[in-house]
Amino acid sequence: MRRLHRIVILILILVISVSLIGCSSGELTTEEKKLNIKVVVKMQEPGFWAVVQMGAEAAGREFNVNIDFDGPTYERDIDGQIEMVQEAIDEDVDALVLAASDYELLVPVAEKAKAAGIPVIIIDSNLNSDKIDSFIGTDNVDAGRKLGESLIDKVGAECRIVVMSFVKGTATAVQREEGFFDEISQYEGIEVIDTLYCNSEESLAKQLTIDIVNSETEIDAFVCLNAYGTVGTAYAIDELGYAGEIKIIGFDSTPEEISFMEKDVIQSLVIQNPFNMGYLGVKYALDAIRNEKVPRSVNTGSEVIDKENMYLPENQKLVFPFTE
Amino acid sequence: MRRRLKRILIKTPKVVRKSFRINSIQSIITLSFSTITIIAMIMVGIGLYSTFSSNAEKNAASSAQQIMDQATINLENYLETMIEISDLISANMIDTSPDNMQNLDNMLSLTLELREDIVTVAIYTGNGNVMLTNPGHDTDRTYSVLQQDWFNQTIEDPEAYLFQPPHVQRLFEGRRPWVVSMNRGLSVEYLGRDETWAAMVDMNFSVIEELCNRVSLGNRGYIYVVDKDGNIIFHPQQQLIYSGLKEESIDEVIELEQGSFVDDFQGERRITTIKNIQYSDWKMVGVSYVDELVPNMRDFTNFIIIILVFGIVFVVLASIFISSRISKPVKRLEHQMNRVEQGDFDIENLEVKGEDEVKRLTKAFNLMISRIKMLMNQIISEQEAKRKSEFNALQAQINPHFLYNTLDSIIWMNENQNHEGVSEMTGALARFFRISISKGNEVIDVSDEVEHAASYLVIQKIRYKNKFDYTIDVQDEALHHKTIKLILQPIIENAIYHGINKIQDKGEIYIKVFIEGDKIIFRVADNGFGIKPERLKKIFETEPTNKRTLGVGLKNVYERIKLSYGDEYGVDIKSEIEVGTTVSISIPLTGEQIGDSDEKIT
Repeated sequence: MRRLHRIVILILILVISVSLIGCSSGELTTEEKKLNIKVVVKMQEPGFWAVVQMGAEAAGREFNVNIDFDGPTYERDIDGQIEMVQEAIDEDVDALVLAASDYELLVPVAEKAKAAGIPVIIIDSNLNSDKIDSFIGTDNVDAGRKLGESLIDKVGAECRIVVMSFVKGTATAVQREEGFFDEISQYEGIEVIDTLYCNSEESLAKQLTIDIVNSETEIDAFVCLNAYGTVGTAYAIDELGYAGEIKIIGFDSTPEEISFMEKDVIQSLVIQNPFNMGYLGVKYALDAIRNEKVPRSVNTGSEVIDKENMYLPENQKLVFPFTE
Repeated sequence: MRRRLKRILIKTPKVVRKSFRINSIQSIITLSFSTITIIAMIMVGIGLYSTFSSNAEKNAASSAQQIMDQATINLENYLETMIEISDLISANMIDTSPDNMQNLDNMLSLTLELREDIVTVAIYTGNGNVMLTNPGHDTDRTYSVLQQDWFNQTIEDPEAYLFQPPHVQRLFEGRRPWVVSMNRGLSVEYLGRDETWAAMVDMNFSVIEELCNRVSLGNRGYIYVVDKDGNIIFHPQQQLIYSGLKEESIDEVIELEQGSFVDDFQGERRITTIKNIQYSDWKMVGVSYVDELVPNMRDFTNFIIIILVFGIVFVVLASIFISSRISKPVKRLEHQMNRVEQGDFDIENLEVKGEDEVKRLTKAFNLMISRIKMLMNQIISEQEAKRKSEFNALQAQINPHFLYNTLDSIIWMNENQNHEGVSEMTGALARFFRISISKGNEVIDVSDEVEHAASYLVIQKIRYKNKFDYTIDVQDEALHHKTIKLILQPIIENAIYHGINKIQDKGEIYIKVFIEGDKIIFRVADNGFGIKPERLKKIFETEPTNKRTLGVGLKNVYERIKLSYGDEYGVDIKSEIEVGTTVSISIPLTGEQIGDSDEKIT
């Protein structure tokens, strides 16, 4: 009688354990909701920021997240960018990737997003805040130094130059200027005639260049701190017929800049890695959503290219984003 | 090695026992049975798993091979079309007249309109001039093909079809598309001279991408194309690789010409399959992830885990059950033994149940208990008999007749003024009783026993008026050994009353005490009447009817020796009518110390 009891209990335990295992293995498959990551850049245009977008979308495809790419038409439209970040907060996106148009003005809205529980990853241009998750971009001081080195290489240590910066006070401009001036301060023969600000507008850069070339007698080179300044200056020099005579050391690698470099209007370019900024921005945003450790800052690097080395296989890959 | 294993095997259960403080049969059986079975099951599980997974990997690799076979054929077909286009150009180059060139251009325009994958077709003369491009944009004058490796190779070896890795096309101003090129030499007759020209067909990646994407190697698996130098022709994440954000195991791929290998790449197990592409030095490489390609792998793992858990639970329960069945009768036995240990022999026979060994054990236990009970009863009755015969022996000493006759003799001697005789007899009587009582000790020195016999003989010799003579011969070594008391006197008494008393001649009594082997022998020999053989036969069987009859004292001595020393010892009688009787008593050679322990028993 007692033995029978025991066998019954035994069978019961077996049945319970098997059914428990069955249940636990059955509950394993749950559908994961597709995440939304908003990428807000300084402006929408076919050059630098388009490559950033390519990088962001490549990451979006790889990690299966929705990428909402946005940016104002003009870089000077800081209010427009603030509004876009506010929209992202209202939409309650899962993460925000931001290239700040202004070092100070974007801080409140970005911190608001952070306070709302949205991870904030800053790319390209930093923000004066310690609350952001990560900064991914070029080490701009180092890039500025490379501009200086390239100037010495292409023009020499004795020259009169004009610096074509972009937006006064913006973090990237400040850092590139710092690096550049630090580099050339070693050479007494370099005279900086003026530092101009083109507000990231080609037309203004072109006009400023024409004005200064016409008013100054002897200019050896222009050092341009971003793509718009470089292109505007190059158009001006080309039109004025000073190509090769007044040298241009530029920044970034838009198709126009490449074309000007092949025509010897531009002598060298310091190029960044916008694709990596976009890709890593999204990748780390995703890591931040998953509460994984994100590096505080990532340097995507910069390189100097000129007409001679730009088609080397390793540089081709940096200069010309791969489009199918 | 084996010894170490053995040591571990022996050691472990000890350690386990110590730490868990379980050493009952049940827990040992449960533990060892479960442990062995669980280890065996886990080993079988691991074995099954590894066999299954390696098979699954092989299957996955071969299915990847098959999938890739088709993709390879498609890519080869595609390259073949490119070659055909170049062949078409080559065929049209027989005539280099402007008219014919115009026709060729028109034909190419049509082809390029139909095919979105061909970016540009260009023909260069032997000295690097552009002869024809389609579509016709402004050519970049800063670009010269003469410095390009591919151009020089093509001119040198016009028969070969040369495929170039991806590069930026620099043919036209302001256009910098990424292309893959196919080049070949053209043999032409131009302005009356034989020349070698070069044709260039630039493709974009659309068709190659489609070919690669069309193939499914699981959700995350993918296909890419490399050339023999490891340049990536096409990769779904080409830009990521170019930017250094991704890596690909290209070195291994180039090393292994063709076939497949399994590796752990960045923490994931993947199968890489490599196929050579005809017409070119390209390789098509398929990458698939093992956990994806083998979907049953997870099911199988779960299944094995379920079986393992199920089996382990079952084994543990079964071993608890079996061990309790084995140990239960043993436990009952143990309980009974505990009672016996505490001195309780009054237990009923155990029910014989359980396994064979336990049954036998129970039977043996029952038998043992009953034997012990029997022996104990025997001891009790023996002790009683011993006490009784001792009491009888003592009683015999204080025989009133003996005392009365002795005292009578003393009085008679006194009246005859025989003072010497009085004092001798009185002293002997006193010694006789002192040794008889000997402070209640049952065991005395052999010397005392001999003295006791001598005292008795002194008294009797006087009483029987020297009717007999006696000699006492004692071996000195025997004197200090121990013996139970009052063994000689009853024999001597018999010799006097039933032997010497019945003859007319003067009697002789010879007493000898000596050591023979490990025995002490007390021998009393007389020349008396002797005992009739039929009487002698029954001499130890007679029940004491009369205290005076022959054999009462003898039997008492006999019983006491048997009870005290065992059956090896006793009384031996040799007798012949009208010749005499010799009685030999044997006791063990005990040594002096034995007497002390005997004292405790009594």
